[in-house]
Amino acid sequence: MLAKRIIACLDVRDGRVVKGKQFTGLRDAGDPVELALRYRDDGVDEIVVLDVSATLESRLANRRTIEAIAATLDVPLTVGGGVRELDDVARLLNAGADKVAINSAALARPRLLEEAAARFGSQCIVISIDAQRTDDGYAIATHSATRAQARSPISWAREAVGIGAGEVLLTSIDRDGSRSGFDLELVRSACDAVSVPVVASGGASDARSFADALRAGADAALGASIFHNGEATANDVKAVCRDAGLTVRP
Amino acid sequence: MNRRVGIVALGAANRRSIDAALQRAGATTCFIEESRTVATCDALVLPGVANFGFIAGELDRTGVRSALLEAVGYGIPLLGICVGFQLLFEDSEEAPKAKGLGVFRGGVRRLRTPRVPHMGWNRVEPTASALEAGWAYFANAYAPDADVRDAVATTQDGVDRFASAAAFRNVQGVQFHPERSGDYGAQFLAAFVRSTAVAYAR
Repeated sequence: MLAKRIIACLDVRDGRVVKGKQFTGLRDAGDPVELALRYRDDGVDEIVVLDVSATLESRLANRRTIEAIAATLDVPLTVGGGVRELDDVARLLNAGADKVAINSAALARPRLLEEAAARFGSQCIVISIDAQRTDDGYAIATHSATRAQARSPISWAREAVGIGAGEVLLTSIDRDGSRSGFDLELVRSACDAVSVPVVASGGASDARSFADALRAGADAALGASIFHNGEATANDVKAVCRDAGLTVRP
Repeated sequence: MNRRVGIVALGAANRRSIDAALQRAGATTCFIEESRTVATCDALVLPGVANFGFIAGELDRTGVRSALLEAVGYGIPLLGICVGFQLLFEDSEEAPKAKGLGVFRGGVRRLRTPRVPHMGWNRVEPTASALEAGWAYFANAYAPDADVRDAVATTQDGVDRFASAAAFRNVQGVQFHPERSGDYGAQFLAAFVRSTAVAYAR
């Protein structure tokens, strides 16, 4: 039976892992290669690397960082940041990514997802969506959450999957770095709306919070600060998930 | 003896992951971007991460398809990974007009579970002694049926069971990604690299 995944996220800027709260106030959290390997040894099922300043600086995710991680890592690596065109996907795969996450560029030009799936297969293309609560429901923000968009994350997720995305990485901007638990309402809505795996992101507070997101229907739950601060390891999280009756990789 | 393992790299593979993993497994590697490189290799890997139809077209356009089949005919070991595994079969529902290499009998079909792609870690359960049981990383929306002639392992995804590994003579393939399957994948690739040396020692 397919196991639920525990994912560690490395937000990278200028070759260093950084972490803030609600996408701002970024502080240094360590060396990306060192952290990726430590989390791997601690039982993490996948590493996500997001170059958080790439889109804002109109460039692709830093390839040297990706290459350095990919050369030694032996669990899957998803990379996002600054993907604007089809060849950017190829560049990141050539640098060592196994899956590529697309965010702002896909919303601006949805056909990018269709073209990417036709060449690389939908299993390789992740639609990354950053969502925040508004007075009437949820709305998307792009460009590292600096640009609010008048679009529902759920309807966008449905459309993105319909044209080629094979996974949804759904981040709650409100919960990002807040350590207040995942936005379970958001997770449930997305899982009901699409037929591909959904990765819950934003708000991981303790091992129990991961189990809650997975029980709400997410196929994977992603954490950053909780791992950077050494408050729990992926294996700690998995022990709690197993007690909650979830299948996880030993 | 250090054998040269050629990785077919036709524009859409996660070439660097597989390259690094094969080197960790003790292989000397090279990338195959044109057909004449195939004959310089002692073993061949057809990796994953692409659309079935895209790679089938690239194999034809570059002439790598016929070079691979010729090498296989000479007894050169060939390993297919993910869509590279699927390409060893006759055809796929992902691209109905495209042709696989047809080394293994049967076709590849879409998975029959509510949530596709099948993404993450799952059990590889051997039906023959060729392979160890263990946890491996998958990322696939398509797979061959569990009862295809050459299956040597199967995997359960919800209500669906599919072939996750197959072997026939000097050709083998796996639906999972050994280059991203931790220690289990590393052991698998080390066994593949060792077996290529044995193939020449005979």
